[in-house]
Amino acid sequence: MSLVKPLISLIVLVVLAISLNTKFGSVPPLGKFFDPDAGFWANAERSLPDTDELNLDAIQGEVSVYFDERRVPHIFAESEYDLYFVQGYVTARDRLFQMEMQTYDAAGRLSERLGDRTLNRDLSTRRMGMPYGAEKAIELIKEDEKTWSALNAYSEGVNAYISSLSPKKYPIEYKILDFAPEEWTPIKTAHLLKNMTRTLAGGSNDDRTSNTMAYFGDDFIEKFFDVKPGLNDPIIPPSKTWDFDRVPVHTPDTLFKPASALELENFDRPEGVGSNNWAVSGEKTASGFPILSNDPHLGLTLPSIWYEVQLHAPGLNTYGVSLQGAPGVIIGFNENAAWGTTNTGADVMDWYEIKFKDGSKQEYWYDGEWKPTTMRVEEIKVRGQETVFDTVIYTHHGPVSEIESDINEEREPTYHALRWIAHEPSNDLKTFFGFNRMESYDDFKEAASHFVAPAQNFIFSNNEGDIATWISGKFPNKWKFQGRTVGDGTDPLYDWQGWIPTEHNPNIKNPERGFVSSANQESAAPDYPYYLDDDFAPFERGRRINELLAGMENITKEDIRRMQMDNYSYHAATILPEMLEWINRERLSDTELEILAEAEAWDYLNKAELKAPGIFRWWWSNFYNGILSDEYSTTDASLRWPSRDRLIEVIKSEPEFEFFDNIETEEVESRQRVVTDAFKETVEELTDAYGEFGDNWNWGVVINNDVDHIAFIPGFGAENVYSSGNSESINATRGSWGPSWRMVVELGLEVKGWGVYPGGASGNPGSPNYDSMLEAWRVGELYELKFMKEPPEEYLYELKFSSND
Amino acid sequence: MLQTVLIAITAFLLNIIFPWWSIAIPGLIFGYLFKKKAHVSFGWGFLAVFLLWGGQALYIHFANNGILSTRIAEMLGVGSPYLVILITGVLGGLVSGFATLTGTLFNKKVPS
Repeated sequence: MSLVKPLISLIVLVVLAISLNTKFGSVPPLGKFFDPDAGFWANAERSLPDTDELNLDAIQGEVSVYFDERRVPHIFAESEYDLYFVQGYVTARDRLFQMEMQTYDAAGRLSERLGDRTLNRDLSTRRMGMPYGAEKAIELIKEDEKTWSALNAYSEGVNAYISSLSPKKYPIEYKILDFAPEEWTPIKTAHLLKNMTRTLAGGSNDDRTSNTMAYFGDDFIEKFFDVKPGLNDPIIPPSKTWDFDRVPVHTPDTLFKPASALELENFDRPEGVGSNNWAVSGEKTASGFPILSNDPHLGLTLPSIWYEVQLHAPGLNTYGVSLQGAPGVIIGFNENAAWGTTNTGADVMDWYEIKFKDGSKQEYWYDGEWKPTTMRVEEIKVRGQETVFDTVIYTHHGPVSEIESDINEEREPTYHALRWIAHEPSNDLKTFFGFNRMESYDDFKEAASHFVAPAQNFIFSNNEGDIATWISGKFPNKWKFQGRTVGDGTDPLYDWQGWIPTEHNPNIKNPERGFVSSANQESAAPDYPYYLDDDFAPFERGRRINELLAGMENITKEDIRRMQMDNYSYHAATILPEMLEWINRERLSDTELEILAEAEAWDYLNKAELKAPGIFRWWWSNFYNGILSDEYSTTDASLRWPSRDRLIEVIKSEPEFEFFDNIETEEVESRQRVVTDAFKETVEELTDAYGEFGDNWNWGVVINNDVDHIAFIPGFGAENVYSSGNSESINATRGSWGPSWRMVVELGLEVKGWGVYPGGASGNPGSPNYDSMLEAWRVGELYELKFMKEPPEEYLYELKFSSND
Repeated sequence: MLQTVLIAITAFLLNIIFPWWSIAIPGLIFGYLFKKKAHVSFGWGFLAVFLLWGGQALYIHFANNGILSTRIAEMLGVGSPYLVILITGVLGGLVSGFATLTGTLFNKKVPS
């Protein structure tokens, strides 16, 4: 008798079972993954969670969490410890994968879970000093008992949830990527906040400005980067007077020229990061109380970057959106006051050329002597591979990057140290804890004063009728234009010589015009005594908001909601009439003329159902490139491109602007020629991309608005969300960027809030709640926010926590 | 037929507690005990867990209004959630089929 057959069969079975239990490349272990009991099917939500009661050792008293019909948790606790513990627990329950991935990314640890495809991202994160900054932040946070205990309570809550999970209950992404959640620690919150600094204050023009100065000369720099567009309308109205003398700084006699043209890592910021906020005083509202509005524009993802929550404990009752991974509410309101935020584009990231003594890089030249460097070894674990060790050199400025210069003749590497606000110790949560509890303007001012980075334009309003703005954050006290070019790492005059005293930060309270607002534009008028940056957002959104608000009276919440959806393009209004005037119609075909007629009839509203917005956007972009790209592509060095609003001023006032000529051709091109070529090119490109001219050219299609899953898992996002908006409109929706949370708060004896974000409370792609608010967000509807003073009578379901003792 | 029912019920129970590969165990046992022809054993074994996993998947699909299966279909690029259900059934069926076949073959070759 032979055992051959049964053994072969057994081997086939074992190989099959092992194969289906193994991850191949990005394919999850299939048997494990398809198992209806514990694989992805287990994540398909079949009914609402039941009301439940949990007994946990760590809980001190009783906590009730009421989930409303949108499944927003309203947490009622008897102590702050319990409150933050449960905030951690419920946030993890809805958003664990996102919480973890954000912090892996911020700590340069993605490769530990995802393998070598993310190694470059991790290396860059480490070389920028992200973990270094987080370590310094957590040291400072430990000194503040309140923040430290909140972080610990939150961590314990997250961990209580994680330890309750069997692999079957892991969020679906863990099953796809085949790993397990790890313990949460307070430093992860510091990592998360540093990641916000990277997103919002991780941009720099230094190398590009230096290169442009060397290449096109000082006059070009002056023309495009010193002169501000005449339509600029700063955040702090020019009526504000500054009743202090600035803290002096020492300025170098001549500006340092870097040794070579070079290309630092791309720290350009995509347009789309930016936000709006405003508050109107009671004199302008129907209710007689202020109304506050905020819509932060960030990357639109599923799950959303925001998690809505109400926090209620003795001495605290606040509602708004939180970041998963941080205790407290980041944007919201309480029973007395509301606050909102937009990003400040100040320059807080500077590069310095470093001169090392020799190849060992142990010493660098500074202030007339050789100074020792320090080294930090970054250990990057890589899934399925050997650990990567990366040694990063630090000068007193910060971490040093080596640039392989292929531009200077010697082709020698150059070294650049990074001085960046993210390396500062900071306890930014203290500001939000203050906002969560504030009543008066003084409370607001005090809380805002603790903020370090990323600098924010905080607005405030309260039931006493005050409205105010503080531009908050730690700003280096710079000489004019310091840090817009690469600095001299050997000269102390290029160092950040100190800080702008917090009380000198731009601010305004109850201005005569009856409103405060911000849209990432210039912080203050040119008479503000300090230099912050030469590069803020174009004037368009800020000016539009101010003009609308100035003309409004008897304002209601509904007026503000409509205003958040305003699609007016100031950009088009300032240049499209001229482009239509300049274009040579004789060169256009009948179809092209028909398409041009769409642009001519346009009222400058970026509406989904119109074709003109797409035609204009592509036409402008081709015109812009037609003017500049020939000159800009004559060098490999990366150069700084003019902002569109300033370029428009120049081309309108200088018909013979030399850049109109295409230097690659014999003939001399005119403005008319360039704008006409750009139009013909646009028609061609749009036809290629969207087919013959027709409804498929509608802006709602061309806007290309995808709300992708945070790990870009196909099928887990929402593709081609047909919507209005554009980056220059108040409704700044465009191509996966846009209003990540729209909120309106009406102050009053009963504070009322409305809000929406493009997603849902649940982070589970198998839940109807995953993207349940997307449609309301798309069309600009707001939900009334259930702000409760007492535990509610009615709710969807309840989660109760009590102590084991 | 009885063999299929027994495999399916046992696999269902084991699968609740143990990892997914425990669905191979009933095939091995009942394949050995029922001692059918090789291809018949494979067939009944396959059918048992094909129906079990496929049925469970189908039930979840409807109870979830197809939200997740539609997303998974898009993730896998297979177009229809019903193919996701089919794949689920086939994967489970294959493991159980080979297990049942192995059980039967051992019974035939090992003198009892």
